[in-house]
Parts: sequence; structure tokens; C-alpha cells
Amino acid sequence: MKFSVTKEKLLEGLQQVQNVVSTRTTLPILSNVLLQANGNEVHLTTTDLDVGVRGSFEAQVEKEGATTLPARRLFTIVRELPSSEIQVDVDGKNAASIRSGQSFFKILGLPEEEFPPLPKFENAKVVTIRQKDLRDGLRKTSYAISTDETRYVLNGVLFSFKENKLTLVATDGRRLAMVDLELEFPRSHEADIIVPTKAVTELQRLLTDDGELKVSVGSGQIAFDLNKTLLVSKLIEGNYPNYRQVIPGETKERVTLERETFLNSLRRVSLLASDKSNSIKLSFSKNNIEISANTPEVGEAKESLPVVYKGREFSIAFNPEFLMAPLRNLTEDEVFLDLIDEMSPGVLKIQTPFLYVLMPMRISS
Amino acid sequence: MQDFSVHNEAKSRAIIHLDMDCFYAAIEVRDRPSLRGKPVGVGGARDRRGVLTTCNYEARKFGVRSAMPTFMALQRCPDLIVLPTRFDVYRREAAVIREMLHRFTSLVEPLSLDEAYLDVSEHPGAPAPLAQVIRGMIFRKTKLTSSAGIGPNKLIAKIASEMNKPNGQLEVTPEQVPEFMEKLPVRKIWGIGEKTERKLEELGVKTCGELQRFSRPELVDLFGKFGIELYDLCRGIDQRPVEPDRPRKSLSTEETFTIDLTTLEQCEEKLEELFQEMMADLAQKEATRSVTKIFVKLKFNDFTRTTAERAGLTPNLPDFRGLLAEAFARTGKPVRLIGVGVRFAEDSPADAQMPLL
Repeated sequence: MKFSVTKEKLLEGLQQVQNVVSTRTTLPILSNVLLQANGNEVHLTTTDLDVGVRGSFEAQVEKEGATTLPARRLFTIVRELPSSEIQVDVDGKNAASIRSGQSFFKILGLPEEEFPPLPKFENAKVVTIRQKDLRDGLRKTSYAISTDETRYVLNGVLFSFKENKLTLVATDGRRLAMVDLELEFPRSHEADIIVPTKAVTELQRLLTDDGELKVSVGSGQIAFDLNKTLLVSKLIEGNYPNYRQVIPGETKERVTLERETFLNSLRRVSLLASDKSNSIKLSFSKNNIEISANTPEVGEAKESLPVVYKGREFSIAFNPEFLMAPLRNLTEDEVFLDLIDEMSPGVLKIQTPFLYVLMPMRISS
Repeated sequence: MQDFSVHNEAKSRAIIHLDMDCFYAAIEVRDRPSLRGKPVGVGGARDRRGVLTTCNYEARKFGVRSAMPTFMALQRCPDLIVLPTRFDVYRREAAVIREMLHRFTSLVEPLSLDEAYLDVSEHPGAPAPLAQVIRGMIFRKTKLTSSAGIGPNKLIAKIASEMNKPNGQLEVTPEQVPEFMEKLPVRKIWGIGEKTERKLEELGVKTCGELQRFSRPELVDLFGKFGIELYDLCRGIDQRPVEPDRPRKSLSTEETFTIDLTTLEQCEEKLEELFQEMMADLAQKEATRSVTKIFVKLKFNDFTRTTAERAGLTPNLPDFRGLLAEAFARTGKPVRLIGVGVRFAEDSPADAQMPLL
């Protein structure tokens, strides 16, 4: 295999696939990136057996062929190469000679045959989505994914295809984020699947604001085809909990808040949230919310936020991190906070189909 | 037949310690039937100073043990098949098993992926047949065998689970405890390591029965605070409750190096990488917990180790550097492993986050 390429194109290609390579894998081949040169393209593939990515870059291919090379090492070398022109020449023993300007590197690879192939998607159900919509939807939900490995069904985002809607849900059992996307697909494509965190993270890196992507759901696996790149992942097996039951059906009080103003106040006050309890209190009175926090033997913080509020006076406590997370990831100027009482979940909404349900914290005093 | 009045009077608990048999190795053999009957270990490769995480019983016949360096294991058993760990698979399997355990009681305390305590005091029926049912269910679902110890407390249950391994179980009833402890080697008690064992041997004590001759003050004299507990433990008394979902007490990242590090500068370079990794882990897993202590652990080329830790600091690189310098200066020996980590404050139950689902 032999090809010439610009440093920029090679770097960009490697950047797209290298995140999947785990740093401390015990199977040496999984540290490697598969390179396949044909036509005027070189395809790159990486996998950790759960998630795989395939991308490509344009190159002048002098001799077609394939090999695998250590991904991280290749990336660090290419990044440092002095010239923008790079020649890669791989011999029959998978030793790659890399030339650029006055530099010469030789790195040893492993045979192509040892590289585990990405799964095939035959008879898969295919749905087309606008990249921007999915990117936006994942941004609004993925921060709520659980990292608790004992609740493995929550270690991902639920993709629920139903009645011409794709509902994305993420929860860690204390808060839940949900988005609905309008989508057209046949009845036969209805399905509930859980996409693991790593695949969601990678997908978010690959998605752009332009164009569409094809989502193929096979048995136990999913593929996201973004034209130039392909991401495949195993799905999390198991049943996602019945999330609909935690969404409050009623609302007692609603306040409209300026997202950034609210977020900034929370951020300031949370500086004095006790490390131990880590709660922040919202006290509602006529046309005002007082946000407060205190840490025994350290001090306290308070801030008033004028709002339109005519409901009853009461206080509710939240984990400040959990309250700030959606505010950071939304882009809307205005958010609505719906509350029932100090013991019931609060719901954050915007004008479009999104909601974030957050359980309050019990206040001891 | 169970005598209700006796049961009630003693207010005895029924604890099961469930331990999967060479969990990781068993999963690998199950998934690759061609390995059946062959010695198999799971862990790091020989050339990278790997250590075996587990090995199956075929390998144990050759004297191979878990936590043994891979090269040593291969010396004892040249035919040993060493496989890389697949923690994602083990975790998935553990979650399936844990879910099954929760059907019998909510009081499940996982100790690691492959063992857990169950408090089945409130479960109707006798605990030993229940353990049998649980193990049978696990086997039907996962094709993996497990062993169980059944006793009136965690200490007895844990010791008993080792006795009929693999794929067996042992019940020690409250009435049998005195006899069970009498001949038990002191080493079997948690908290007694090599050092304490040697110290006891010098005093002519090998079994728990012999240890029972000492009074509580005498034991405190000999072993400090641990002596208080030891007095109870050697009698088979253990009041610790089964605590479901115990929160993590510390979080750390460590790395064993292929080549020993000999200078502080080399260590500092690695420290920075490990620090970044640990902070990322911390942000992802325990962002809401408060850190009370930070620490740096070093293991030297002669396998001795030292830990430098400091309370009242938030995790930051300069302070970790200080701890590293302190730990390094203690011996000056070549460094084989560096670990950096934090310890957490215990969560106060008062201001608690309420669950949503």
C-alpha cells in the first residue's frame, strides 16, 4: 500500500476515528486503526468491539492495499510532521514508512486480517434524520445519562421511534431529560432502543448542522451513516424504565425565567452550597424568587430574582448541578419552571417539545 | 423444622455471602467453549508486567493464583491461556446477577462485581435452601456457577462461602458458631493480614479458639483499636449490617509502568497524566461528592508501597506534586506504580436527593 496525502487531510481523518480507540486495551489490534487504500481514497476504521467508526480521506493512491497501524502513535507522529506533504508506504510485513520533508518514520503495524470487521446491517430498519435535529436533541438530553454501572440500562440514551416521532430520553434516576423530534417512518419501524454513552458521545462529535443521516437499526446494534463517516454500536440490552410515569401530569405554579440570568444566579449562589448536602434553595414569594445556599461554619449566599409569580409562598431545594445542567445545554432565551410543591418533581420546559424533570432534595431543617 | 421461639429470642439474622466462582475466567470459558478443561487466566500480558485478575480451577491446580504476575503464572503453568480482561462484559453479567438478587431482598450489598452479601432475615423459609435456589437461578440464566456461605452475620457467611468452593455452599447456624470458630485459623478473619498473623504466631496463637483466651484489654494492648473488634470477631460475633449500595469511599487512577521510574522528574511527568485522568473520572462519576483527602500512592520495584495523603485540600496538581515528592523521598527506590486519588466525605442522610425512578 502506498499513498500521498496532505497533513491536514490525514489529521482530520484520524481525528474522526481515534477517539474510539481505548487507551488501555489488552487486545493489541484494538489500539490500531485499519487503513484501506483504494481508488482515490483511504478508509480508516477503529473499534473497541462495542463501538466502531469508519471514515475516509482523499489521497493519491499509488498502490492499493490495507494494513493496521497503532492509532495514537500515528496521530502524534502526523501532528508533528514538518511538511504539509506526507507519503505513506507500507511493505508486505505491515511496516509503514512515513516521509515528510526531511523526516522519516517507520512504524510497525499488524495484518489487516486480525482487525475485527464492523458488523453487517442486513434487513435493518432505516430512518433518515436531519443531522441538526439529532445533534440538538442529544445536546438537550445526553448530560442526564446515568454513570452508575449497576443501572446499566440507564447508561445510554433511549431512542424511541413511535407514531412518527423520535423521542430521546436520558435519566440517572434523579432527573430526566426528554426531547421529541418529528420524523416520518413506516409503522413497521417503531422500536425502543438504548444507545450506549460512548456511541452517543462519538455521535455528538461527528454530527454537523448540515445534511441528513441514515439510522439503521439491526438486531442488537445500530449504525449512523453520516455520508462521509459511519458509526456503529452495540445497543444496551434490557428494558428502559417507564419514564412516562415520572412526568407530572399537573402543574400548580409556573414561572417564566430568563435562562442566562437564572443560570448565572444559580452559579454564583452555588459557590456557597454546602459540600455535604450540596443543595440550593429556591424560595418563592410574590413576584420574587430568592435563591440561597449555606454551608455551616463557612458562610451563606443569597440572591433575589424578580419574576412574575402570584402563587403561594413556598421553598424547594435542588442539587444545583442538576438544575444548572439543562440551562447550560439549552440555547433558548426563555425557560419555564413548573412546580407542584416542595416534595414533588419540578419540570423545566421550553417552547419546543423538551422537558426536564428534576426531583427536589429533602431539606432537613 | 424451625423452632420459632428460639429464632425469635436470639433475634438472629440470616446472611448469605454469594461469591461467583472465578467469575471473569468462567465467563471467558463459557463464551469460548474450546477453552473448557484448559487452564485459563484473565489479566495483563506477560511482557507488560501484567497481573492475573482471575484464573480458573484448572490453572489453580498448577499453583496459579489471582493477583499473581503473569510471567510467574506462566512459569508455573506454561500451558496457561492468558486472556485480556473484558470488563464491559463482566459488568453487564454482574448487573444481570445483581438484578436477580434484588428479587429476593432489597438488602443486597455488592462487594465487587462478583460477590455480594444478602440479608435474608425477613425472607420466609430457611436461608440455606434459599441460597440453593438463588445459585440455581443464576446458573440457569448465566451458565455460571457460584458458591455461598450462610451464617448469622457477614463474618461467618463470608468465611463459610470459601469452604465448599466451587459450586457449593455451607451453612453455619448460630448454634454451630462456637465450634466453627474454635478451629478456624486466625488468618480467615478480615483485618488479619500477614503482619498480624505473624505477631499472633509468636504468641502461640494459630486458631480463633486460641485467640479467645485473651481478654479485650489484652487485645487492645497488642493490636490497638483493632483489638476491640478482634475480641468479638474471633468469637464469630459481627454486628455490621448489610448496607445496600454503599457509596464509594474513594476514587483513584493508577498505572504500573513497563520500565521503573528512577527520578522524581519522571514520576512528575506521569503524575500529571494520571491527575488529568482521575479528574475526568471524578467529574463523570462523583461530581456531587465532596472530597476530604487527596493521596498519592507509590509502589516500588521491591513491591513495598507507601501512601502520602493530606486532608482539607481540593484536588489540584501542585498539591499532588507535593505529595509525590514526599512519598518519593521516603525511600528513593525505583518506582513501579503511581496512583493518585481522592477520598470522599460520607454523605449526610439529612439533606437527601429524592429519587425520581
